[in-house]
Amino acid sequence: MSDAKRVVIPCSGIGKAFGTVAREATYQLTKTGNGEDYRTICLPLLVAGDQKAINLLKQSRVYTIDGCPKKCATLCVERTGVDVAMEVVVPKILAKNTDHKPGSILDIGPNGVLLAKDIVNVILEEESDRDE
Amino acid sequence: MSELPKVGIISCSGEDCPGGNISREATLRVLHNLRPDETATICLPLFLAGGEGERGFAKRFPTITVDGCGKMCAAIGTARFSNKPAVEINLEDYPDFISLKDEEKWHIQESSSDLVEKLSNDIASHVDELRNTWE
Repeated sequence: MSDAKRVVIPCSGIGKAFGTVAREATYQLTKTGNGEDYRTICLPLLVAGDQKAINLLKQSRVYTIDGCPKKCATLCVERTGVDVAMEVVVPKILAKNTDHKPGSILDIGPNGVLLAKDIVNVILEEESDRDE
Repeated sequence: MSELPKVGIISCSGEDCPGGNISREATLRVLHNLRPDETATICLPLFLAGGEGERGFAKRFPTITVDGCGKMCAAIGTARFSNKPAVEINLEDYPDFISLKDEEKWHIQESSSDLVEKLSNDIASHVDELRNTWE
């Protein structure tokens, strides 16, 4: 894996369970077995125009996880002038494995956790391909 | 007689701070359980990512922002792109804020359930007050 900083940003959308799944995937990616390789920042910092957060993005490889086609996380990053290395849209991942349909926004349930794992795997595979 | 307005609630999502998760959870409780018919919401990032329709949100609704830390991203973002919030809540003003654990930015612990409940009830009280004083 290369030495570039990796930042993953979920949309955390408050209208759908997919927003919570995006959060869960970010948790798994930043905390579960991936050590110091990935970190996250608060997406609202970009809305508030926080320059420190924007500067971090400019030095990083940025992954976004969006819960709906409005792709807020991706667009917010792009509006800072930073390119997104990979954007993941949760419903597209679910379409590949419909057994992992999440529960509610307040409790995504075990299938939602599995869907989050699917997302993590997609990002790790992309990272692996990039390094080869 | 004019119809009482819905009240907008906009939460920070604070992916990198536990207060963001608490704010999001409390906001969802108000939207889904405490005041489902009296409230509306919008994802905060839509102010930056969306268009004029989304940016009119806080002009259409008297709006409460709920922030998980003193950076006040939801309040700043709402005022910057839409309209000044009617009420700005900062979780740092709650004494229990200092007890939050870092891992709660992902999974809220039982020890913080009282804080979530208190914040939810406060948001709901502000909703009632805004509706009752609406002219």
